Amino acid sequence: MSQVAFSSWGRQVIDNRQGGDAEVEVAKKKLPVTFDGEKQISAFMGWDGLILKDPNVDVVAMAAEYAKRVQEDYCCAKCSPGKKGTRVMQDTLARIVSGKGEESDLDIIENIAELLQNCKCTLCMTSAIPIVDTVRHFRDDYLAYIHGKNKEKKAVDYKLKMTAPCQDKCPSHIDIPAYIEAIKERRFDESLSVIRESMPLPAVCGRVCPHPCETACRRANVDKPINIMVLKRTASDYERKHNHQPSMQPKPKKDKTVAIVGAGPAGLAAAYYLALEGYPCTIYEALPEGFGGGMIAVGIPAYRMPRHILQRDIDIICSMGVEIIYNTRVGTDISLMELKDKFDAVLLAPGAHKSKPMGVEGEDEGYHGFLAGGIEFLRDAYLGKPTGMGKKVCVVGGGNTAIDCVRVALREGAEESILLYRRTRNEMPADVWEIDGAEEEGVQFEFLVLPKKIIVNEKRQVTGVECLKMKLGEPDDSGRRRPQPIEGSEFIVECDTLIPAIGQDPDLSFITEETGIKITRWNTVVTKYIPLKNGADRDLSDSMGNPLSRILLTDMDGVFASGDAEIGPLTVVACVGNAHRAAKVIQRWLDEGEAYLTDEDFHEDILTSLGVYDKDEKVPWLDAVQRFEQHEIHGKERASAGNYNEVELGFTDSEAVLEAERCLRCYRVSMIAI
Amino acid sequence: MVNLTIDGKSVSVPKDTTILEAARQVDIRIPTLCWLEKISPTGACRICAVEIEGVDRPMTACNTPVKEGINVTTQSEKLTRSRKQIMELILVNHPLDCPVCDAGGECDLQDVCYDLDVTHQEFKAEDVNPATINHWPLIQQVPNRCILCEKCVKVCHEIIGADALFVNDKGDRAFIDKKVEKCTYCGNCVAVCPTGTMISKPYKFKARPWALNKVPSICTYCPSQCQIDLNVKDNEVLRVTSDDEGTTNNGTLCVGGFFGYGYINNKRRLIEPTVEQKPVSWDKALERVVAEVERIKKESGSAAVAGFSSPRLTNEENYLFQKLFRAAIGSNNIDTEARFGAMRALQALDKGLGLHGASNRMEAIGNADAVLVFGADPSAEAPAVDWKIQDAVRRNGGQLVIANMRQIHLTQFADSQLSYKPGSEIALASGLGRLLLDRGHIDEDNLKRTVFNLDELKADLAVVDLEKVFEATGLSREALEQAADIIGKAENVAVIFGSDICKSAFGTSKAAAVANLAILSGALNNNCGLFPLDEKGNTQGVLNMGVYPENLPGFQPYTDSKEKFAKAWKCDLPDGGLDAEGILQEIEAGTVRFLYLAATNPQSFPNSSRWMKALKQVEVLVVQDIFPSEITRLATVVLPGSSYAEKSGSFTSLDHSVRSFNQAVRPVGKSREDWEIFAELYGRLNKTLVTFNKVDIFNEVSELTSLYAGADFLDDDRNTYLLNLPQVADQSLRYQLITAGNGADGLQLLTGTSVGHFGTTSTWAPAPLEVEPEGILKVNAEDAKVAGIADGDKLKLTSVTGSTIGKALISDSVPQGLIFAPYNFTVLGVQQLMPDGDNLTLVQMTKA
Repeated sequence: MSQVAFSSWGRQVIDNRQGGDAEVEVAKKKLPVTFDGEKQISAFMGWDGLILKDPNVDVVAMAAEYAKRVQEDYCCAKCSPGKKGTRVMQDTLARIVSGKGEESDLDIIENIAELLQNCKCTLCMTSAIPIVDTVRHFRDDYLAYIHGKNKEKKAVDYKLKMTAPCQDKCPSHIDIPAYIEAIKERRFDESLSVIRESMPLPAVCGRVCPHPCETACRRANVDKPINIMVLKRTASDYERKHNHQPSMQPKPKKDKTVAIVGAGPAGLAAAYYLALEGYPCTIYEALPEGFGGGMIAVGIPAYRMPRHILQRDIDIICSMGVEIIYNTRVGTDISLMELKDKFDAVLLAPGAHKSKPMGVEGEDEGYHGFLAGGIEFLRDAYLGKPTGMGKKVCVVGGGNTAIDCVRVALREGAEESILLYRRTRNEMPADVWEIDGAEEEGVQFEFLVLPKKIIVNEKRQVTGVECLKMKLGEPDDSGRRRPQPIEGSEFIVECDTLIPAIGQDPDLSFITEETGIKITRWNTVVTKYIPLKNGADRDLSDSMGNPLSRILLTDMDGVFASGDAEIGPLTVVACVGNAHRAAKVIQRWLDEGEAYLTDEDFHEDILTSLGVYDKDEKVPWLDAVQRFEQHEIHGKERASAGNYNEVELGFTDSEAVLEAERCLRCYRVSMIAI
Repeated sequence: MVNLTIDGKSVSVPKDTTILEAARQVDIRIPTLCWLEKISPTGACRICAVEIEGVDRPMTACNTPVKEGINVTTQSEKLTRSRKQIMELILVNHPLDCPVCDAGGECDLQDVCYDLDVTHQEFKAEDVNPATINHWPLIQQVPNRCILCEKCVKVCHEIIGADALFVNDKGDRAFIDKKVEKCTYCGNCVAVCPTGTMISKPYKFKARPWALNKVPSICTYCPSQCQIDLNVKDNEVLRVTSDDEGTTNNGTLCVGGFFGYGYINNKRRLIEPTVEQKPVSWDKALERVVAEVERIKKESGSAAVAGFSSPRLTNEENYLFQKLFRAAIGSNNIDTEARFGAMRALQALDKGLGLHGASNRMEAIGNADAVLVFGADPSAEAPAVDWKIQDAVRRNGGQLVIANMRQIHLTQFADSQLSYKPGSEIALASGLGRLLLDRGHIDEDNLKRTVFNLDELKADLAVVDLEKVFEATGLSREALEQAADIIGKAENVAVIFGSDICKSAFGTSKAAAVANLAILSGALNNNCGLFPLDEKGNTQGVLNMGVYPENLPGFQPYTDSKEKFAKAWKCDLPDGGLDAEGILQEIEAGTVRFLYLAATNPQSFPNSSRWMKALKQVEVLVVQDIFPSEITRLATVVLPGSSYAEKSGSFTSLDHSVRSFNQAVRPVGKSREDWEIFAELYGRLNKTLVTFNKVDIFNEVSELTSLYAGADFLDDDRNTYLLNLPQVADQSLRYQLITAGNGADGLQLLTGTSVGHFGTTSTWAPAPLEVEPEGILKVNAEDAKVAGIADGDKLKLTSVTGSTIGKALISDSVPQGLIFAPYNFTVLGVQQLMPDGDNLTLVQMTKA
């Protein structure tokens, strides 16, 4: 028998109430069986319909509650149908539930639902969808109430959450519609305050974020997505350019302290949120002062992320009550156990700063011109150390780090900068705009090549790299076509410098055995989680393949982990989101002695699993205003030797307002009955 | 251009036009409720929704831009039904108190319901509106009348930049709330409210709108001269309104314009003439004045008679005043308070640029790519200039440089803040000039064409020592370079300067330094300009009418043009003439024995205690004013004049437009229009019967001066004349070498006008007084700490010339080492502490 009694989800009605066992795909694959590992989910109501798992749930009462919460807790009141219509909806449903309803009230509900189609945004508009579904498909239940014949049904508890496709998709879950709305109203400082609630590095994520949010933007169903990232930058630039002071005020200092390993995005973000709550945080950073920011400082080139702007974000975080102790490597200068003794809680956020080996013949020989790795090359370049780079540089890899290396090589004075990648441009994991940027600057690309052997001269100086030509075969697990070598196709690419940039690993050597902290085979820290299983009894996981509902507590009590070393090497925004969660859990652990997830956390993870964006949804809208792209410096000169000036220049305020006006404000409310 | 079809009519409009605007072009009226032209579209009411072929939902016309080829339908059965039903929703729980609602009769909600034939109610809901908000000063908020159109929120944020109003709470409980500390009480929220939600407390229950007579007028508080309507009933001004359409201020007003009218009906107005403090008839009073003039002339000659006129008086009155003195009395000892400010700007601008005030109309500021506000607080001195600056920098992509000792309202929008050390304006201007040159921002060709002494200019800039500039101003090289780049890269630059510069004793030099900057930055082109601000309503009129000894009307040098005027006026004109400083000295020396003060009060002059002493000393003091004061108590004769609402005449705005107004109410009591008093005295002194009227004076001024030559007559409600704007001729600009300058060490007191008050007049108006009842001393926290002063403490300030006690406000809007005090309050009397003709002085501060 199906696990679902009724579903209108995705506008597809499946009704098993009179028997039948039609499967509901989303319930089977994406919706967990329990809310928090224990409590059963009995119904789900949201923007796309109703999923009723337990037929004993009182659907009418659920609709009434949903209408009430939408009106009282979420409706912004900024349009007449929304403000008034949902109130009439709420009161009409309440009247029915209290036994004072009339049959004509059902017409009023449908009438209001129709009027809500005129709303300014989708919050109230979509809230009518499941309610109308209940009126149409559970009419008898309504009539029973109206005629005083309803039977007592099971009492349920409701969990609600407002979300939006972009907000759900953003790993930091920034309230994107709110900050865009503020820009629309030219309230740039207010916009930034909203951003900071979930993103303490707005200048950074306004510039270098791969913006997964834009892949879940409903405006793309009309024309093109909103330029969400650059709008974030606009808000952040506005504060800086106008010399405004950030508005945050940390709570009074508490007596429990937190040590954080690493001043990267995760360490900084966790410190920021803990400091706002009043916990003094001390970050131990291996790099010297002036290079806070972890991978942002030493992995992202200054032409993408100007250092003084990064530093401003860091300074603001520090001003909340965060101390960064530079030049101090945990494991070398101070041990993890010492931190554990000295502080009430410890967060491990060391990042992933060690290049993966490439597996090419001669890479262990210590040849001149064969560099340790992309990430080390970038770090040395930013620290102003000798990089060992020559004039003709080959970088191996297809990710953003590889692209950063070829572009930095030009700025470090390389005459030729060549990228070697074993698949084609289409399969490159690097962001497409980064690849375009490299091309514009004169980087040469060699696709479908596999380095096999380093060629050196008698002085052990690299003179080239022997490669094999490749062709694309069948798709692999990642869905990309697997490259296969063409036998006998060896050829040599001449170069004096070879940089492998095929990925990086965390260096977790500071986590000693005595701590009992386990490490995965992908070299990340193991953290605890609450298993959420889907209808097919499989653990649900996030897009990185990590389990949902992670508590981020390691095997050692009071020691938590976050960032690249916990998730696996990913993005700033993912690290910040993960660290924000860690900060909340650490706070609970410090306050209550227990590390746990709240209903809000579970709900967030469940929505992430369910997916809020539907790329197939038909969105009626007039596509009168095209997406704005930010200003950019063009031409090869932008990458001339020593030129680390910022390449992308953002929006003017007025352009930002026009772009913000394209936003459809796709809020929606999810309600789970348990 | 974008082509589209609306209800079958083809229309072609520029890109970015909204469907609503496009429809208006072809006379298709789409109903609206929340739309207001001067703010960004809100899209709250949803009744402007239209159908667009191929788009499967209604789109709101107000905020949907046009697209090529679309086919729009504005009327259909479905649209009509949803519009009606949305109106019904809006009316759910809307109270039926229209009979006692202030908006009744001028309510957009009533009008739209009527137009859309909304006659019944299908919906009902629990009334969850919050209670009426009564605790805000001056404004009452009635949430259950609110339709949440957000017009009030948007004017407050977008136009005024106050950002006080916001939508609070969720769902149907949501209401307009206010961060009261941010409110400037401009009243625009009341003005734009389409219903009776935002209510003016002073006006509430005073009249039904249809019972009011709206008399077109202008606000005379400041030189922006916003165009208003005095709403009159039973010979009383009950409120001030301003239309969005057809006014230079787009209907926007400030606290003065909207709430400041209350002084007109103040019960303490002077209502009858007095002699020796005893009420007398006009005949007796005027007879006494004439007798005293004649006696003193006989005894000491006409040079023993002196007089001050006022920028509170009209052009016509000022013309008559100087004619009365020069032609009928035979004295050229006339001046006004412009001597302590605007005259200095005039001298510097006339000498360097051939300008007699601003170089362009105010609206040009809105187009500026860069605005430099130098030593001015436009929000206080000329609020409409503030709004234009916000136009430029918040809407039109311009950048703002604020050079000011203090943080002002506009600082929040500044791209560059130059918070210079007190007194270092000249160093700052020369440093900016040098950097403009060094950084390649000078338009050499243009300067070659226009500047008379280019070599001198270059030689002077070449010797500017930037290191000394950084030291003198306390600003970094980076800060100055950034400002120079903003100004230098902009095509159109507006330079605005005001009281901090002009009211300094070194004002002429400082204004000359700004004039030099205007040359270097290319501000003097037709698209932008240089704008000196003086907060008084008709300062430009005073200057134009020659109410100072150096010039006759129309900026004609007194000595050169004396004969021409003598001939026209059929009289002899005296030689010489004393300015304010000279008059003061001669009163002290006993040579000036008769002083006539028309609508001016030396208590607000710098070093006011010296002035007050002189007033006690002068033999005959005639005071013509509207309120009793320290000086009316000293007066031999008091002549009650009238407010602008009670007379006819014209004012000249800071951007050279002459705006007329007619009498809206009769003068209170026995008071008279000021020009009538001058005319009567003129007649009595000449022993002839004279009648003057506006047209005669206009014609006389036209004959004798070139002021009105070529002016554009607008034939609007206020019979506005736009005076000619100067054009920059070849070799007409002169770079001025500046030597004088003041440094200022130690704790300095700066005086200026408060944002909430205008001169001393508004301190007689109950509404502005309710929000700012007394003069507050703004003190930096560090200085307060040193003196052991807490917020709200009484503190005593002492300078070389005097001392005062006032309440302290600890504020980071003033830097360490600077105290700011409003001069508007004669009770606080900070002008006693100022040296002669100055606005900045060393003080000692102690807890009182």
